[in-house]
Amino acid sequence: MASTTPDQAAQLLFPPNVQYNATRLSTIKFLSACYAGAAAGILGLENFIGFGLFIGSTLFMGGCLWLKCKGKPAKYVHGGVVEMINPGQENLFSFLLAWTLFYAIVHVYD
Amino acid sequence: MSGSAVSLYLDPQIRDWVLFPITLVMILVGILRHYVVLLLQSPPKKQPMAAIREHGKLPLPPSYYNAVSQHLADAFKNGSYLKGGPGKGDTPAAPPNPLTDPAAMDGMMAGMKTQMVMMVPQMIIMGWINFFFQGFVLIKLPFPLTLGFKAMLQRGIETPDMDVRWVSSLSWYFLNFFGLNGLYRLILGNDNSADSSRDMSTPFAAAAAAPQLGQAQDFSKLFKAEIDNLEFSKGLHSWVADDVETRILKKYGRAT
Repeated sequence: MASTTPDQAAQLLFPPNVQYNATRLSTIKFLSACYAGAAAGILGLENFIGFGLFIGSTLFMGGCLWLKCKGKPAKYVHGGVVEMINPGQENLFSFLLAWTLFYAIVHVYD
Repeated sequence: MSGSAVSLYLDPQIRDWVLFPITLVMILVGILRHYVVLLLQSPPKKQPMAAIREHGKLPLPPSYYNAVSQHLADAFKNGSYLKGGPGKGDTPAAPPNPLTDPAAMDGMMAGMKTQMVMMVPQMIIMGWINFFFQGFVLIKLPFPLTLGFKAMLQRGIETPDMDVRWVSSLSWYFLNFFGLNGLYRLILGNDNSADSSRDMSTPFAAAAAAPQLGQAQDFSKLFKAEIDNLEFSKGLHSWVADDVETRILKKYGRAT
């Protein structure tokens, strides 16, 4: 009875729990993007090092979530590992916003 | 690369009076937009008896239930309640064209009106920023951009040689516009009306929802499935007033 089709796999999930997980996940992604942006801005990172911090923080967040999922993200998140790690365009812009804001406050203005 | 070694010195008052106010105003306008949309949707009215009956929420004694379900099954075969007469087997009736059918048109217009309402505050804020905060450098971007962006982000600052990273207030507006969606989702919940990414995706969604073929035929299949379910459930009728006599007697302490 292996669920191969996406429909069957989706039927095994319990919708309120899936929604709760998705909400928590999006909150975590947004907050980690904001904190990464603040850190990059305060440290004065520029160009690619700043984006490197963003990627690093995303991977670190993915690692923590992977531990929290006890190694099986497909059971908790609808799209599996990719969905869990992918920050999405929205959080990239939030990172840029926070990064620019803190960089400006600390390094541009005296 | 010599341009990036020189750093402009910006007045801290610009930070206090431009940077923070623009962000604050955009956050507040987003929240305001969300609540305005909420208030504009009329609250659900207390439904009259007929509407409740239609949804099947009234307590229905077993004899009535059987009579009604039998009547509905016969009515479907006769087509007495259907708009187009009895179902013509498998020939799909033409689905109502959304542009000409008045009922569907109203739904689409309502959606488009909300979208228009939500774009207006953004236009106003952009005009406000262009009017008041024009002609000076606001912020230095930590990431590099190509020269093509110079025209848009340094509008009003006539320096052809300055690094693209020194930008005007309008670019701060754009950064906020894209970056605050996550904050709205955190504060206002997932279904908020302040999200700017929804504004840009809805014209495509409305256009994609318009060609919905085969909808009329799906209804007749749905009705057939409902008829079958009704027949299956004839023996399963459970009623909220099932042993109401016993419950009332217990409540008043006279059960024996």
